[in-house]
Amino acid sequence: MRRTASVVAVFTIIALGVGAEIALAQDRAPARAEPRPTKNPFEGKPDAVSNGGAMFRTRCAGCHGPDAHGYLGPDLTGFWGAGGTDDRMFDIVRKGIPGTEMIAADPARVLDRDIWQVMAYIRTLNAVPVTVPTGDATNGAQVFRNNCSSCHMVNARGGQLGPDLSRIGAARPRAGLQGKLRGTNTFIRPGYEPVTLVTKSGERIRGVRKNEDEFSIQIMDMRERLQGYLKDNLTEFRVEKQSVMPVYGPDRLNDRDLNDLLQYLAGLRGADSASR
Amino acid sequence: MRRLIARVLQVTFAAVAVSWTLAAQAPAPAQVTAQDLRDGLKNPTRWLNYGGDYGNQRHSPLTQITPANVHRLTAQWQFQTDTLGKFEATPLVLDGVVYVTGPLDTGWAIDARTGRQIWRYKRDLPSGLIACCGLVNRGFGVLGDRLFKTTLDAHMVAISRKTGAIEWDTTMVNYRHGYSGTTAPLVVKDKVIAGVAGAEYGIRGFIEAYDAQTGKQVWRFYTTAGPADPGHGTWRGTDPKAWEYGGGSIWVPGAYDPELNLTYWGTGNAGPDYNGSAREGDNLYTASIVALDADTGALKWHYQFTPHDIWDYDSTQMPVLADLTLDGQLRKVVLFANRNGFFYVLDRATGKMIRATPFIQTTWAKSIRPDGRPMLEPNSVPSEEGTKVCPDQTGGTNWMPPAFSPSLNLLFVTARESCGVFFSWKEDYAPGDAYRGGAVQRLVDEQYSMLRAIDVLTGEKRWEFPYTNQSWAGVLSTASGLVFAGGSGNVIAFDAKSGKNLWRFQTGSSLYSGAITYMVDDRQYVLMPSGTTLTSFALAAF
Repeated sequence: MRRTASVVAVFTIIALGVGAEIALAQDRAPARAEPRPTKNPFEGKPDAVSNGGAMFRTRCAGCHGPDAHGYLGPDLTGFWGAGGTDDRMFDIVRKGIPGTEMIAADPARVLDRDIWQVMAYIRTLNAVPVTVPTGDATNGAQVFRNNCSSCHMVNARGGQLGPDLSRIGAARPRAGLQGKLRGTNTFIRPGYEPVTLVTKSGERIRGVRKNEDEFSIQIMDMRERLQGYLKDNLTEFRVEKQSVMPVYGPDRLNDRDLNDLLQYLAGLRGADSASR
Repeated sequence: MRRLIARVLQVTFAAVAVSWTLAAQAPAPAQVTAQDLRDGLKNPTRWLNYGGDYGNQRHSPLTQITPANVHRLTAQWQFQTDTLGKFEATPLVLDGVVYVTGPLDTGWAIDARTGRQIWRYKRDLPSGLIACCGLVNRGFGVLGDRLFKTTLDAHMVAISRKTGAIEWDTTMVNYRHGYSGTTAPLVVKDKVIAGVAGAEYGIRGFIEAYDAQTGKQVWRFYTTAGPADPGHGTWRGTDPKAWEYGGGSIWVPGAYDPELNLTYWGTGNAGPDYNGSAREGDNLYTASIVALDADTGALKWHYQFTPHDIWDYDSTQMPVLADLTLDGQLRKVVLFANRNGFFYVLDRATGKMIRATPFIQTTWAKSIRPDGRPMLEPNSVPSEEGTKVCPDQTGGTNWMPPAFSPSLNLLFVTARESCGVFFSWKEDYAPGDAYRGGAVQRLVDEQYSMLRAIDVLTGEKRWEFPYTNQSWAGVLSTASGLVFAGGSGNVIAFDAKSGKNLWRFQTGSSLYSGAITYMVDDRQYVLMPSGTTLTSFALAAF
């Protein structure tokens, strides 16, 4: 009898479940797929330019600079002059660029019209003339091997204290890299903040911070040793503002070598395109 | 006739078999009654309401775990959801079983001793769900043999506590227009009461009561005042229909005072979030607390924390009910640490503000006038060029529930010092589309998050514990003088008086919910959700 009861119960559950399925099936939202224009429908519209400007300052300026002339991310004003299309720009914003900080714009938060309005704003900015950078990438690669590769990896070769630069040409504008080398750009990528620890036994350890919580810190030290430390066991613990990367002033790196190095770095856009 | 005899025999046999079965077992477990919910943590072995008791104090009378022995607290079991997303729910515990909702409209009954699953509930969700901030849920309500929950497609469902099967399913509203259900319901007498989320999508918020037996809608209170409602004159902008999509979402449960028969609800931001030009006026009843008659939904009083909200300062924090002696007089009050950065003490019979003090740095307003209105600061309106305002849009606190120790008169709040640059732009309403009218650049270098103990008699800070990363953890207080909260995945026990850190455990994922405590077989457990895992702790046997 108990079995009968449970069979009835199971049947009831299935019946209820099926009922719910049918109800839900009728309730499904229609797909909201609309064909996307290939040309910006908002271009030149004053309201859109003004809205797009506010959106740009909120969401884009942090990396691309307040005037879109580039900071961590590339200069955007020359995009069309260099042959870029509305369609391509829209795709980049919507999908992001893998391997860089350029994330995809979530459709639930950023509507198509928002992207078009931002693009309408960027089109109104004075474009920097497109120049073809000069420099000897082969010499640049040599400069890189001599000065940088002990800390930076390119295509699986090099050190790992600093960020992997295999796609740095897609992620950073030339001016941003120059600032980083010359010491005018003080941005430090998360996960590479310099840190100094002193243990209770008096050992002083310098490295970069990989993670931290209320009670512990995880670092890579200057010898690339990964290690965690309990804060209770440290007598000193300091996260610093000055990158562990040295400043390459003109005394360490002359203008020609700098230009060649930048030429080499600009070409690093993924494993297939980099020189080996 | 033969069929009739056969039927009679069948029924008789069934009755005998059932009575034999019952006789052979322990007495049938008692159902959860309305009185049980009202008693709340008077029976501290269980946890039947989101906030522990109807007053949301999250203060358990259990004293097995103390400041002196908490260092022996060890993990007993872990339960993992096998889903994406994260727990934002407060689990319920009854008779040795944990009932908890998870992300993506899931739910479980779990053995509170071992963490083993008893049943699993999963809703088949339609595509095209619209939810601004995660496909989450904040927990079950319970009455009789049923659990109740809101769903991401804006339904209210009743689920069998024994099997996890759906018993009724009521559509709250059409989810395609930006509505969703994420709050835990508040169960009062024979009604299940909840509201809808979605104020980033131009919804018209409401609080609605359902008959616990049938799921039938009993009353509805709109959180934006329509033409027939008092307060409609507070929607005066260029758009005469602004109130129709003016926000005021409900995404955490309310409180209930049985003696006054009033429910208390914090309401969400006005919409569009950052551009108020189309909705001049106070925009009642957004960013407010409303006191509604539990039987009829009639508005008894309201108090608006942020008139004409343009900073996304939802008042969706927990109203905490307490009886305090203020100026020698015993007062029934609501304590409310608001996202806008002020800590309020209100008379809960009348809604009159007794005191409001900032508990973090605020620059949109520096103080609240004696008549209850904020003293707005100049240059705090979001703009095309950006306007720096403190706190940022995630606020001085948020949905994470605080805890209150009545013996210490301390409210423990997961708080945050922060500022943001608020931008605004024009945005037209379209059903189901984002409707924010701006966005905020959070100034991450200028922020820090902490557990802060506020003396509710003075509004002053008593102690704080800084977190390394932004914490979204709720708080639990116990009568033994412990507070449980945490950050960066650490569950941390504090001495309630001093804030001293007494114990910790790294769960491996961020905390987006508060701990609860319960007792089975005379053993006290502390249960903490983190990420998609529940971890239950008890004192080591040695």
